[in-house]
Amino acid sequence: MTTTFSPILIVEDRAVDLDLTKRAFARRRLLNPIEVARDGEEALAYIERWEAGEPTPVFIMLDLRLPKVDGLEVLRRLKNHPTYSSIPVIVLTTSAEDTDINEAYRLGCNSYIIKPVDFNKFMEVALQVEVYWGALNRVLT
Amino acid sequence: MKVAQHISRRKLLLACSAVLLFVPIAAAQKAPEPKRVLAIYWDNKDFRGNVIFDEQFQKVLKSAPFPNLEYYPEYLESSRFPGDDHVEAFYEYLKRKYDDRHIDVILAIPDTPLNFVLKYRKDLFPDTPIVFNATKPPGEAEYAVTRDMTGIVVQTTHRETLDLALKLHPDTQQLFVISGSLEHDHRYEATARQELAPYENRVHITYLTDLPLNELITTTQKLPPRSIGLYVWQKTRDDQGRILETFEVLQRFAPTASVPLYGLGSGNVGMGLVGGYVQGPDGNGKRVGEMVVRILNGERAQDIAIEPAPNGPMFDWRQLQRWAIDESRLPAGSVVRFREFSFWELYKWRIVGVIALFALQTMFIGVLLVERRRRKRARELLAQLNAELEERIAARTAALDAKTRELEAFAYSVAHDLKAPLRGIDGYSRLLLEDHKDQLDDEGRSFLNTIQASADEMSQLIQDLLDYSRLERRELNPHRLELQPLVKAVVEQKQHEIVDRDIDFRVNVNGGYVMADANGLSQALKNYIDNAVKFTRDVSAPLVEVGSRETPGGCLLWVRDNGIGFDMKYHDRIFNIFQRLNHSEDYPGTGIGLAIVRKAMERLGGRAWAESEPGRGATFYLEIPQGTVAK
Repeated sequence: MTTTFSPILIVEDRAVDLDLTKRAFARRRLLNPIEVARDGEEALAYIERWEAGEPTPVFIMLDLRLPKVDGLEVLRRLKNHPTYSSIPVIVLTTSAEDTDINEAYRLGCNSYIIKPVDFNKFMEVALQVEVYWGALNRVLT
Repeated sequence: MKVAQHISRRKLLLACSAVLLFVPIAAAQKAPEPKRVLAIYWDNKDFRGNVIFDEQFQKVLKSAPFPNLEYYPEYLESSRFPGDDHVEAFYEYLKRKYDDRHIDVILAIPDTPLNFVLKYRKDLFPDTPIVFNATKPPGEAEYAVTRDMTGIVVQTTHRETLDLALKLHPDTQQLFVISGSLEHDHRYEATARQELAPYENRVHITYLTDLPLNELITTTQKLPPRSIGLYVWQKTRDDQGRILETFEVLQRFAPTASVPLYGLGSGNVGMGLVGGYVQGPDGNGKRVGEMVVRILNGERAQDIAIEPAPNGPMFDWRQLQRWAIDESRLPAGSVVRFREFSFWELYKWRIVGVIALFALQTMFIGVLLVERRRRKRARELLAQLNAELEERIAARTAALDAKTRELEAFAYSVAHDLKAPLRGIDGYSRLLLEDHKDQLDDEGRSFLNTIQASADEMSQLIQDLLDYSRLERRELNPHRLELQPLVKAVVEQKQHEIVDRDIDFRVNVNGGYVMADANGLSQALKNYIDNAVKFTRDVSAPLVEVGSRETPGGCLLWVRDNGIGFDMKYHDRIFNIFQRLNHSEDYPGTGIGLAIVRKAMERLGGRAWAESEPGRGATFYLEIPQGTVAK
């Protein structure tokens, strides 16, 4: 019996951060497949794929500092989309700038998390995300 | 009867007055008998010659040391009152008038009065010496009356005057001699002819005698060149029949005369004569006066020699100018009268003074103007320099601001970018420790722990730098903040450690408000509390107190601890960035915390400082400029 789980979309250009995020979620033993976009363009390309019938993600983790298309621009496009504006977007970024935070919330991000350095804190973030967006599916240990 | 009574009463009154007056009179009689001089002039008192003579004469008398000299001028006026009756009457008058007093000297001017005096001498003033001013010296007839006389004799000076004139006008060819008398007797012409005879072969002499005034004027207007005139004496009548004195005649024709006029009488110098060897009442009055003084001083008149009337060269300066005669050509001892000083001659020193003053003033004003201009220029230059300086400062400030922003942005992004690899170091060392610890020995695990601790430290450092940098860049948002909840919120962040460490943590902030930026104030307070908690680590009964108080400067907040404290000499250093007093091994920290506090307080317009002693704890203060605190 195979159940298809909604994916999680991670938009992250840094390989290390991407890997750590993936591992943090993996530690929580999530079953949801992880999809990755390495820049803003790739992230926006997902919109077409969803329109073409691919499953939409349960939430999107979005870095703001991205090559090609800026994270805030990706956020703006997503939140202006008639269909996909309802997908929760969690901004996970190094920027603690007030301007970034304010702009992200104004554009409709659902949560704004500053990337911690401590891996344990990363784990906490993963936990919070899981609890908060409880629709995640976890492998029971 | 009544009349007689009246008269006798007056006599009585007079007698009484006389008695009363006698006392001073008697006293006065002790003074020497006054000297009395009687002068008898021929013409009336107002006659010009008499006036001049009298003036000079009296001048001499007054300068002599006679304390009470009495001078009696009388006027025979036989020319106005001709006839023996009048002379007789004058004699009667004098006799009665001077009957009661003794005359010391009689003066007679000129011949006619002298003759009168001699005639009546025996009857009038038999012993009185006589001084005369006559035209001819006394002869036997006169000396027969008395020898007790002296005086001056007027002599004509035709020759001297002509010599003088010819010297001044060497090319003279003709001489015109002007004279006349009311009697038309040609007496002056006769004298002149006699005197000038020797000159006839040298110049051609024409005698203009007794010409009526109008004719005299027209004739003298047309006298030929290389001629001179000699004005002897002329009396005439004008159209109205009025007698014109000799000087008046001269005044009429001299201004229009075509030749320079010379003459004999000093009184005519000034009336149109160029000049001449002159004599006249001024010199005569003086000389006669001197003689009178000698007699009054005791000399006998007959012992004083009879002298010729004084004469000398005299000129009218205006006429010298008119005929272009150089003063240097005048004989030595010449008297030049009527000199018209030019404005320059008259006021030379005053002019010089005024000009000097003007020059000085002008110079002064000039100096002031120059000074003013220099000042103005200096001011303008200064203003220009100031403007330039301000521009430059503004430009430099803008450049610095831009540079500062750039640096902060740079620091911020560097700090961010530094965090990314740190996440890798921390993350993977932790993963390694957790997922592969079985494959590591204790030393390997210890290394990984150290790597993690270093990463933590690095992370904290970066975070503090970011905070510090953000403080500067973040816009202030001052609000009315309630102190109590703010302090409470900050303390709660530390609650975990406070409880763990069993710190006696007291908050004595009862209430009150401050106007401040919440983030800045919280950050400052948090760092203070962090510090207090950190440096009470090794104290047996750690105590931290947060308190507040109102001050004149605003509101004071403090965090007091009983920790290790510090030496006050390091006070300023601990508030500087990256300044640490302790080894980081002992008290971990980035050295940025207090710098952030100070910066935050500066931004709020407040102050941050501390008081401490090593080993006796420390009190860190925050002063917020606007605020009220509940007691």
